[in-house]
Amino acid sequence: MNKLHLLLAAGIVLLVGALLAIPSPTTSPPAQTKASPDTFVVRDVRLFDGERFHERRSVLVRDGRIQSVAADLDLAPGMTVVEGEGRTLLPGLIDAHVHTWGSARRDALRFGVTTVIDMFSDHRALAAARVERASLAATDRADLWSAGTLATAAGGHGTQYGMAIPTLGGPGDADAWVQARQDEGSDFIKIVREDLHVYSDAQALPTLDAATVAALVQAARRRGLMAVVHASAQEAARESLRDGAHGLAHVFQDSAADPAFVALARERGAFVVPTLTVVAGFSGQRSALAEDPRVAPWLSADQRQTLAGRGFFTEAKPALLANARESVRRLHAAGVPILAGSDAPNPNTAHGVSLHEEIAWLATAGLSPAQALAAATSAPADAFGLSDRGRIAPGQRADLLLVEGDPSRDPGQTLAIVSVWKNGREVDRRVEIDRAPVLAPGPISDFEADAIESRVGSGWMATSDRMAGGQSQAALARIEGGAGGSAGALRASGRVQVGAGAVWAGAFLNPGEAMMQPLDASALGELVFQVRSDDGRTLAVMLFSGAEGASPASVSVTPGPQWSEVRLRLSDFPGADLGRLRAIAFTVQAPAGEFHFDLDQVEIR
Amino acid sequence: MNTTSPLPAAPAPSLLRIQALESWYELLRVLRTPAFAIPALAFPVVFYVLFALVLPGQWGGYQKSAYLLATYGVFGVIGPALFGFGVGLAIEREKGWLELKRVSPMPTFVYFIAKISMSLVFAFAVLCLLTVAAVGFGGVRITPITWLQLVATLLLGTMPFCAMGLWIGTLVKGDAAVAVVNLVYLPMSVLSGLWIPLFAFPVVLQKLAVAWPSWHLAQMALGVVGQVQDVAYARHALVLLAATVVFLALAAMRLRKA
Repeated sequence: MNKLHLLLAAGIVLLVGALLAIPSPTTSPPAQTKASPDTFVVRDVRLFDGERFHERRSVLVRDGRIQSVAADLDLAPGMTVVEGEGRTLLPGLIDAHVHTWGSARRDALRFGVTTVIDMFSDHRALAAARVERASLAATDRADLWSAGTLATAAGGHGTQYGMAIPTLGGPGDADAWVQARQDEGSDFIKIVREDLHVYSDAQALPTLDAATVAALVQAARRRGLMAVVHASAQEAARESLRDGAHGLAHVFQDSAADPAFVALARERGAFVVPTLTVVAGFSGQRSALAEDPRVAPWLSADQRQTLAGRGFFTEAKPALLANARESVRRLHAAGVPILAGSDAPNPNTAHGVSLHEEIAWLATAGLSPAQALAAATSAPADAFGLSDRGRIAPGQRADLLLVEGDPSRDPGQTLAIVSVWKNGREVDRRVEIDRAPVLAPGPISDFEADAIESRVGSGWMATSDRMAGGQSQAALARIEGGAGGSAGALRASGRVQVGAGAVWAGAFLNPGEAMMQPLDASALGELVFQVRSDDGRTLAVMLFSGAEGASPASVSVTPGPQWSEVRLRLSDFPGADLGRLRAIAFTVQAPAGEFHFDLDQVEIR
Repeated sequence: MNTTSPLPAAPAPSLLRIQALESWYELLRVLRTPAFAIPALAFPVVFYVLFALVLPGQWGGYQKSAYLLATYGVFGVIGPALFGFGVGLAIEREKGWLELKRVSPMPTFVYFIAKISMSLVFAFAVLCLLTVAAVGFGGVRITPITWLQLVATLLLGTMPFCAMGLWIGTLVKGDAAVAVVNLVYLPMSVLSGLWIPLFAFPVVLQKLAVAWPSWHLAQMALGVVGQVQDVAYARHALVLLAATVVFLALAAMRLRKA
């Protein structure tokens, strides 16, 4: 009895003591802001870590860096989760050969290229670039490493762009020249050996002689800078590597790399940036990127223009590409590091997007998909000593690219971009960041009044292929007696003539006040209208959206002779950019002949 | 011829075998009492599905499905402990079973260990059901190690509730124990925030939660699943240990008197 009482007393004392030590229960739920918006998890994703693929990983990003990578992660409350099922997460891409004029770094970032290595541009950008690339702050541009000004001869390649270039006259100028570049902030030295003889018999450019190049390489080495050489001929490339150059900014194209060259490159530990995309352009190949529906909505005017650029020198020479690819195959087989570089914005390329094409080109030149992707991630990071990027691993900068599908089977899949993150923040990929005015849901036209009116925009107009040089005709009229016993409807009628080019005729609605003005319809779900026609033709309902001049997204409708309601889900229009809806058209197309159809109670909601 | 021949020596009873049989029959007894087995297994997971999965709502920075996995886990494991000991002991006392078992050669502790194992088996089954609901339908991500930590915390945490049940079982007899246990179990669960989080309650009730052992176990479980940060595990464990000692002492005093 006594012992039990003692035990009870001890227990009560212990209980009271422990209770006094307990902090009092919290009285409110933790604030949502406890989880930082920059903290997120991409979960259950296929991962390319910079070298190889891993199935089903989860990646935790916090404060701009990758915090952990695991097969399974515990989620903290309130954390943003990005579903990775069926998708692949890659390190932000590194383009090892660009020229960053104008909006280049913004254009690159919108396509998942989070770091660019510039082989010649304005050295005045370097000081700011050094600060930016060390920071984890939010940015809308890819980080920059750069050669700054290039080394060339007076009147040589690189002097044609209208800016003053300090050129070299001989070996004696080399040391002072390199010193000046280092003072300007150049990260490495770019040397041009180009007289154009590989491309043209008609033209010849002055170029640096071997002795000057050797002196430049030596000067760069003395100052701890890498020297990268542009050489389009194998002999020039061979000389440069012998003289100690660290890498080649292109693969030469006059001949395929011979065994002696391969052995030299391997022995010297040199890297090669083949830039097959731009070589393909010299060889007469045309990039199809601008027509790719995954790409087109995100291209800026500059990107579209440089992709369409043709011709460099004279006629296309298919042998150039064949030689270049064979060289890449041999060099890669020997273990020479191959780096992906686009040489944007040269003809047939565009910033950002062309690196994806370069990856695909490398995969046709002996590199496996994983090796081609490594050439755009870990390999350039290693070659240029960028220690905080190029891989997905704890502590690395959270520059990430999430794509749909599996690039380990098809490297072209990297263009199916879902999201891009720079410094742990999602990148707004739209070209025009300013949001368009919002298109409110509701009826557009019921055609009850005598005039043809619409609730929004500048109203209805007839449209036909005449505006593109065709012969079809269309006219709009209000008719008495509409759908469901209403007072009136809209009749589109005319004649289709099949000629050269696109053929169409019908009715066209501008939802904005200005012609083709973009409106934000991303909150809207469907287009609803009453339609009838007794001529048996199929209507193409078209949404004009996205970039100006982009081809419309179209859905077919076949009306019957009686009024019937049609509901089209806006999400069913392939490739439509509903954030920038420009116009809606109801048209008939081939075959030739008369047509008419009636519309009523047009509504968007 | 009056010499007596010694009886052949009986083999010593195997303690292990006695324990195994007693535990097995305790489990069978409970399984054959649907009034106990069904609510004990079903209620936690039904409530979990209702509050965590069906009813909408966002609770600030908490992940609802993980938060309630911890608290309904507590709710689920203390039920069998309270009922198994409280109601079981009360009924066995009333029917004279306890007397019979006390005079049998079976050591007393075997009786208690059997009851403890029964409540642990039930507790584990409840946790498995909850885990299936939480991971399968609630989007809860939990690593095997964290899950094992949660299960270990909750199973060890049944101790004070076994002791509490024991004490109740010594205080009342027969079916009255069902009422008493329910009167303790349900209000304690609600007021410890096991059904819905404490922040939904008036401040006074939130402050009083510290008095319930189940609140302390819930804090530990929530810490394990990462829903509450900086949990003072040692202090909560000390409270639970102290409560176990107090209830055991109270129960022992009652049993001595009887």
